[in-house]
This record gives sequence, C-alpha cells and structure tokens, in this order.
Amino acid sequence: MSRASRWIAIVVVAVLALLPFLPGAVDAYYFSFLFFVSLYAVMAQSWNLVAGYGGQISLGSHAFFGLGAYTTAILWSGNHLWGSLYDSHPNIYYFDPVTMLLGGFVAALAAVLIGLPLLSKLHGDYFALGTLGFGEIVKVIFVNGGDFTGGAFGIVAPASSFDTLRPHYWVGLGLMVATALAIHALMRSRYGLALIAVRDDEMAASANGIDTLKVKVAAFAGSAFIAGVAGSLYTFYIFHVGPDSVFDLDWMLLPLMMTVVGGTGTLLGPILGALVMYAVFDLARIVVPDYHPVISGLTIILAMLFLPKGLMRVGKRLKTA
Amino acid sequence: MQADETLLRLEAVKKRFGGLVVLNNIDIAVGANELIGLIGPNGAGKSTLFNVITAIYAPTEGRVSFRGKDITGIAPHRISRLGIARTFQLVRTFLTMTAFENVMVGAVYGAGGRVKHATEAATAALELVGLSARRDMRTAHMTLSDRRMLEIARAIASDPALLLLDEPMAGLNPTEIQRMVDVIRRVRADRGISMLWVEHKVDAIMKVCSRVVVLDHGEKIADGTPRDVTQNRKVIEAYLGEPAA
Repeated sequence: MSRASRWIAIVVVAVLALLPFLPGAVDAYYFSFLFFVSLYAVMAQSWNLVAGYGGQISLGSHAFFGLGAYTTAILWSGNHLWGSLYDSHPNIYYFDPVTMLLGGFVAALAAVLIGLPLLSKLHGDYFALGTLGFGEIVKVIFVNGGDFTGGAFGIVAPASSFDTLRPHYWVGLGLMVATALAIHALMRSRYGLALIAVRDDEMAASANGIDTLKVKVAAFAGSAFIAGVAGSLYTFYIFHVGPDSVFDLDWMLLPLMMTVVGGTGTLLGPILGALVMYAVFDLARIVVPDYHPVISGLTIILAMLFLPKGLMRVGKRLKTA
Repeated sequence: MQADETLLRLEAVKKRFGGLVVLNNIDIAVGANELIGLIGPNGAGKSTLFNVITAIYAPTEGRVSFRGKDITGIAPHRISRLGIARTFQLVRTFLTMTAFENVMVGAVYGAGGRVKHATEAATAALELVGLSARRDMRTAHMTLSDRRMLEIARAIASDPALLLLDEPMAGLNPTEIQRMVDVIRRVRADRGISMLWVEHKVDAIMKVCSRVVVLDHGEKIADGTPRDVTQNRKVIEAYLGEPAA
C-alpha cells in the first residue's frame, strides 16, 4: 500500500469512527446501512481469506457465522445453565469481548474438526460441496438441540440491553478494520507466502516443504474465526438467534458475491464489494420490493460479464490497456 | 566418480498400478556430488521413479532411504525438508508470485530450517540460474525456459543435498538447452549438490553426466559410464529394437 493510500484509509476510518457524534446520525438510515456494510465486509473478508487467498472454495461460511451467533446467545442467555448470574445481570454478556472471542473460537474449532477430514480428502468442487453439506448438518443439529439450543425457535437474548446502535456500529467498523489489517499483515508474512503457494500449485508447494493440509486447515479455521466473531456481533443486534436466521444461506452467498464483485484475493475488494452490493440490494429492496432479488441477481450477472476480476482490478486494467 | 557417501538408496523398489508393473525391482544408489543421468524410452518408468522417491506415490514393495534413514512413504513436504528437492516435467511454478517469491518458498519452507538467511539464499539462487534481472517479474509472464530455470533456483534455494531434475530441457530451443547445461554444471560445481537427472535429450546426458542409468519397461537395464551404456546391447535394443536376424 502506498503512502498516499494509507493516509486516505486512515482519514476514511477516522471520519467513519467520528460519525456517530454527528447530530441525528444515529437515527439516520445510512447509519444502520453502514453497520450492515461493515458486518458483511467482515464476512466477505472471512470468505476471501480461505477462498481468495487460499484457493479453497468454502460454502460453509453461514455455519461458522451461526456457530458464533449461537455460542454468544447460549453463553448470554443460557439461564438454565447459570441462571442466577443472568437474572441479576442481564447485560453482563452484552458486547463482552470474551464472549465474542469465544464465538470465534468455537467456529474455528469446528472448522479444524471438519476441515481435517474434508481438506485431506477433497479438492476443489468436492470440498465446496462438503462444506455446504456441513452447513446443513450443523443447522439440523441446532434445530434438534433441545433446551440447549432452543430447537426450531432458537434462543432469545435480553433485548432490554439495547440502548443505541452506536456500539454495534463501532464494533462493526473496528472488526472491519482489524480483519483487513490482520489479513494484510498475514499476507506479508511467511504464512501468506505458503497460502499463495498452496493456492497456485499444491503439488509444487508440498514438494517445497509446505505442509499443505496444515496451511489449508489453518486458513479455513482463520476464516471461520472471523465469521464466528461476526455472528457474535449479529446476536447483539438481532437478540433472537434461530436456525433459520443465523444459518441462512445468505450469510454465505452474499459475502461470496460481494467478494467476487469487489475482487477475489485482494485486500480491499471484499470491503468495496460489500459496500457496492449491499447498496444495490438495499436500494432494490426499497425501490422495487417485489422484484429486489431480480435486480440483485442481474447486478451480479452484469458484474460477472463486465468485471470478471472484480472492481479492484478495473483500475489495474485501465492502467495497462 | 566414486562416491564416498551414499545419499539416496533405492532397494528392490516395485510400483504396480492395478495389474501394470511400472517399476520392477529397482536398485539405485546415489552418492555425494554425483550427477547421474536417468534415461529410457517413453513409459520406462522414469517419472514414476521420481514420484516414488518424493513420496507422491508409495512403492508397492521395496525401500527408499536417504542418508541411511528410511523415507519410504513419508509426507512429500518432509522429503523436501530432509534435503531432496525436485523440479517437474510439466513445469510447476507459483504463477501469481514474482520470481523472487517463488524462490523464497524454497528458502523458507523447502529448507526445513537449514537456511538461516532466506533472502540472501533466494537472491543467490536467482543469480546462479541467471534470473536476477527478472527478480520482481510475475511468473505468469515468464517464458517456459525462464520458468524451468526458476524451478531450479527454487530447488537450490532450499539448500538440498540431492536435486531431482525431471526433463528440465523439454520444450527448450538449442540456445536455452546450452544455458540449462551450463546451469546444471554450475549447480554441481558451486554447490556440490548431487543430481538425478531424467532426460529425453540423450546426447546432453552423455556429455554432462559421469554415470547413466537406463530404465526400460520398469526394469533397470544398465548402470555405468556413458561409454559403457552406449555400447550395452540391451540399451541399443531398447532404443532401436532388436537387430534383424
């Protein structure tokens, strides 16, 4: 990243961070819009890490998002497990960083457990289908989880904790910046070198001393960790975590599309894609509510036709043309 | 050249795919600082032999050992870290990386900790194969000849004791072939790396190698100096067919 673009990024983040202090901003439409853009940008970064940089197309992001969301909801609202604490202090887990990290860790642990068998045996499309199957299995397990998961209805967290959207906005922005910085640092390190090597040529990577299974599982787990933390943040927003909401395929499909539109395997592509695509989705939802999936679908088709490598590479193409 | 230390030893190696025996009872020993040519007609089992040594295939029977240690069937990345580097017949470079990054993979991971100063090792390896000027070029934009050189640079950056070259001259023109011969000689002279070199360009092998092994239909039919091998009756028959009676 050049000096100039670094300064631009710092200024943009600073302005966004100060935005909630603007009178009326918190109640404006664009405020919740920006919160959702940041949430989706984090999910897109999560997918980009394993698929864009790692070359392993995962279709299981929604499972890890849901695992993070459920972990938070169960910890927070598991009053049958540690009822007294919850009854006296209903807010105790609201935006608790440890709870959020645990959401990430549970998702990452699941990714390691499922990633070891899947990634050692399956490649390419087959791995993708395996992760899709895993998502369905997790959903069924949570539907049938009895009191522990709240069954088909899910778990309700104490919505009385809600006061303002400000903390959601700041945490979303913070996560978006933190994942981008972490992935930037990772890709400049020797681990990034191994990840790209595995993506470019797995056989050559292992012939050059790279333990390819370890690299792939680590990327899968890192991606799951990010998705789990995002799911945890969503719990603090939605307060009702149910199998149909947090295990919805949209939590995988939308970030995937956003990343592809923005630029797979680029640092800012997922953020740019999340901004552009969420704007298209939301605009279509408001202007033509009956047809909004059609508009969204058309946008994706057009993007694939005319920007097959994503928005981030348009500038590059213009420069070399 | 008589080796004082055996690096690689194959003992009674057999590889069968279903009913097809691709390698049968192969014994080969590679000593320190040896340059051995491995030739044979198409389908003789040369590439399979490489894949058995680098653990891409496990042998059906037999044993592969390196510096006296049994390495039969261990993971490919561990083979590299022990000090056996290789190149591929269909060249395999990391296409989205620069030349330097490719070589860094060898220096950082392939070496298994032997290389203390990876950047210096990578720079030296690029220089040895004559690619210093293309250091920051993306590999996808490089010519086949340069990519073959890059594979060798990546391999030697990992400071191996043994380098397996799988048809490094395939697809190269005469000028590039001469460059490759020079590089192979330099790798041996400057680094003292032993090489096992599969090649279809038999004349190049005969000129450069001190010892030649010939495979045919999965059997080792000759092992000796270039002069011995070219006069070996079995070798002549394998390449030209049986003489008319």
